Amino acid sequence: MATIFEVHTAHPDAQYAAQAAQAVFDLVDRLERELSRFLTNSDVARINGLAAGASTRVTPTTLECLVIARHLYDLTGGAFDVSIGTGLPLLELDPDGLVVRAREGGVRIDLGGIGKGYAVDLAAELLEEWDLGASLVHGGFSSVLVLEPPPALEGWALTLSDPAAPARLLARLSARQAALSASGLRKGDHIRDPRTGEAVRGRRAAWTLVPRPETAKADRAPREGPRMAAAAVADALTTAFMLLGLEEIESICAASPGLEAWVLPEAGADGSADLMHFAAPVEP
Amino acid sequence: MAGEEDKNKVMPPIAAGGPRKLDRRDVLKGLSTVPALGLFGYAWQQQRQYDQATLQATAAPAAAGDVQELNIALIGAGAQGQVLTDAMLRIPGLRFRAVCDVWTEYNLRRVVNILRRFKHEPNAYEDYREMLDKEKELDAVVIATPDFWHAPHTVECLKAGKHVYCEKEMSNTLEGARSMVAAARETGKLLQIGHQRRSNPRYLHCYEKLLNEAKLLGRIVTINGQWNRAVAADLGAPDRYAIPEERLKQYGFKNMHQFRNWRWYKGLGGGPIVDLGSHQIDIYTWFLGTNPSAVMASGGLLYYDPATHEWYDTVMVVYDYQTPQGPVKAYYQTQTTNGSQGYFENFMGDQGTLLISESELNYAGKIYRDPNAPAWDEWIQKGYISAPKLQELQSQEEKSGAIADVRESVSPDEHTVPVVLRDPYHQPHLQNFFDAVRGKAKLNCPPEVGYESAVSVLKVNEAIDAKSILAFKPEDFHI
Repeated sequence: MATIFEVHTAHPDAQYAAQAAQAVFDLVDRLERELSRFLTNSDVARINGLAAGASTRVTPTTLECLVIARHLYDLTGGAFDVSIGTGLPLLELDPDGLVVRAREGGVRIDLGGIGKGYAVDLAAELLEEWDLGASLVHGGFSSVLVLEPPPALEGWALTLSDPAAPARLLARLSARQAALSASGLRKGDHIRDPRTGEAVRGRRAAWTLVPRPETAKADRAPREGPRMAAAAVADALTTAFMLLGLEEIESICAASPGLEAWVLPEAGADGSADLMHFAAPVEP
Repeated sequence: MAGEEDKNKVMPPIAAGGPRKLDRRDVLKGLSTVPALGLFGYAWQQQRQYDQATLQATAAPAAAGDVQELNIALIGAGAQGQVLTDAMLRIPGLRFRAVCDVWTEYNLRRVVNILRRFKHEPNAYEDYREMLDKEKELDAVVIATPDFWHAPHTVECLKAGKHVYCEKEMSNTLEGARSMVAAARETGKLLQIGHQRRSNPRYLHCYEKLLNEAKLLGRIVTINGQWNRAVAADLGAPDRYAIPEERLKQYGFKNMHQFRNWRWYKGLGGGPIVDLGSHQIDIYTWFLGTNPSAVMASGGLLYYDPATHEWYDTVMVVYDYQTPQGPVKAYYQTQTTNGSQGYFENFMGDQGTLLISESELNYAGKIYRDPNAPAWDEWIQKGYISAPKLQELQSQEEKSGAIADVRESVSPDEHTVPVVLRDPYHQPHLQNFFDAVRGKAKLNCPPEVGYESAVSVLKVNEAIDAKSILAFKPEDFHI
């Protein structure tokens, strides 16, 4: 994924913790082989080569990532679109047969906007399997997932800063059992709106915090679904929040208790921009 | 990243009337048409046939209707067993009936659950003998256990009347490997050894077309290759899923650490030269068409803890080969403390160089023509190789009548091997095995071939200890 993955964890045996981190990195490598669009024999490359009516089998993880991507496409009205306007709904996903079928040719997907988060979600489940409940794992610093905080702390300390001026600290957070994702523009960067093809204006950065669902305590076999895909969802929403209108962001947050978003607009004439925060009203 | 996108461009279908005859100047001048030319003709056809075959094979499950269904089992559900399972799930006509692994708490449970999601209903076993007793309907067994278990698992499965696909290295001992060849011969059952590059369409293309037919490299005199890996922590296991000590001992492991890191232990695995080198040294021998005549090697445990790493973390080897064209020196290195340049094989002849690896991302097949070699136009037109990636306009001399246009140094012509793999790396080799079980193909790596490879590779550790050149006799490779 051409980025850095890191695991922070607390355990009395450093070697045990290092082995768990190694297992995480092996997992990320495997996902890369399935999800990279640059690898000709990845699941994604095969999907991108599908002619009209053709289908291909994919791994359970690829299919799951696509299902999440499809949900977020619907939720955001196409603002989050892993097909970048080439027609995500034209792909039929069959989770039972693990088959992806293209109703028409020419659909090209790029899971870059969700793959890191998805990998981080699976990494967190792996760390829980290793009983490393006090952990933080991130992909490229933009997809961060925190489990329980280290002993004696209430949460993991996280900060939000201005991508155009990294020294400018915008907010401090303390988080546990949540995913925090960031998307931002440095000078010269641009994001294209998949719905219109136009470059996005007026937004410099967005962050989304998605609470992690309670750990399923049921007798779950090692790493079988359903995933608690908080980081994948956070990744996707953050991308969407770079382009959605403020009212749309507000209504998505209002309908999703626990979800929080921050948006940094493009600087005004005086060069300043204030961070905006969105969250569901707290229940009395 | 923009440059990488070009790799994924879909080539246009062949024009009506077929490819036009080109002369060399056309090829050189026709820069704008160059990208499409390489895939015209043979390679394009081969790629299309291959793509169509795999498309049909892996398409909707309904397409599986006309293939004979095979009942299969997996022994060894660890990392490699899971890679093979992912590939097998894409091959139609396979019905998983059983999975066997001594790590019942973790790997066995995970693979059985993945298979159930696919609507297979495999029975789960800890003991392979119990599995063979109860599962009478099995046609074939796929074995991905630690090397020292390969011989007992394979021999018992063959004797129980099953066809077997066994991961490489065939065995950690030559006695073990010999018992596997003997069992295959006695029972008449098929045994495929998991040197999967032998079924990889790019390697097959290089072997059959570029080396044997077109002889693009001229006489191969030297080879180098490597598999370098960065430092990695030893493998561990979640505490809560640890295997009870009694069961570990029953299956030949001292403790959980040894169970997870068996590749580093003498008597269980063979170290990196066997885990990694075996794949590529097998290609040296395959492409040269003969087994080595001698080997010298240096290696040692330079970095890791000797208490948990008995084999060498760093190995450098030189093989001698005597081919009908003349002698060959072949270098190979594997080290596990720095991943520089990853893995590749580089075949160097007096007329060209072939740089290849299994990876679809790095060294996925480049061939360079020596400036003194005859032109390769014919092979470009046939589509065996792509048109050269031109460094600069080379027709200056012809226009001006000068002897030489003096300029910055020119690199040799770089051509691409225009065959790519679209499936998981192990799928074609597994497919070849199951096709052979159905009587529709010949094994690409029968036990005799796997044995020859084991003889070459296991000798390296011996040569390191001996600190001298060890000779092979031709009869060493035959049983």
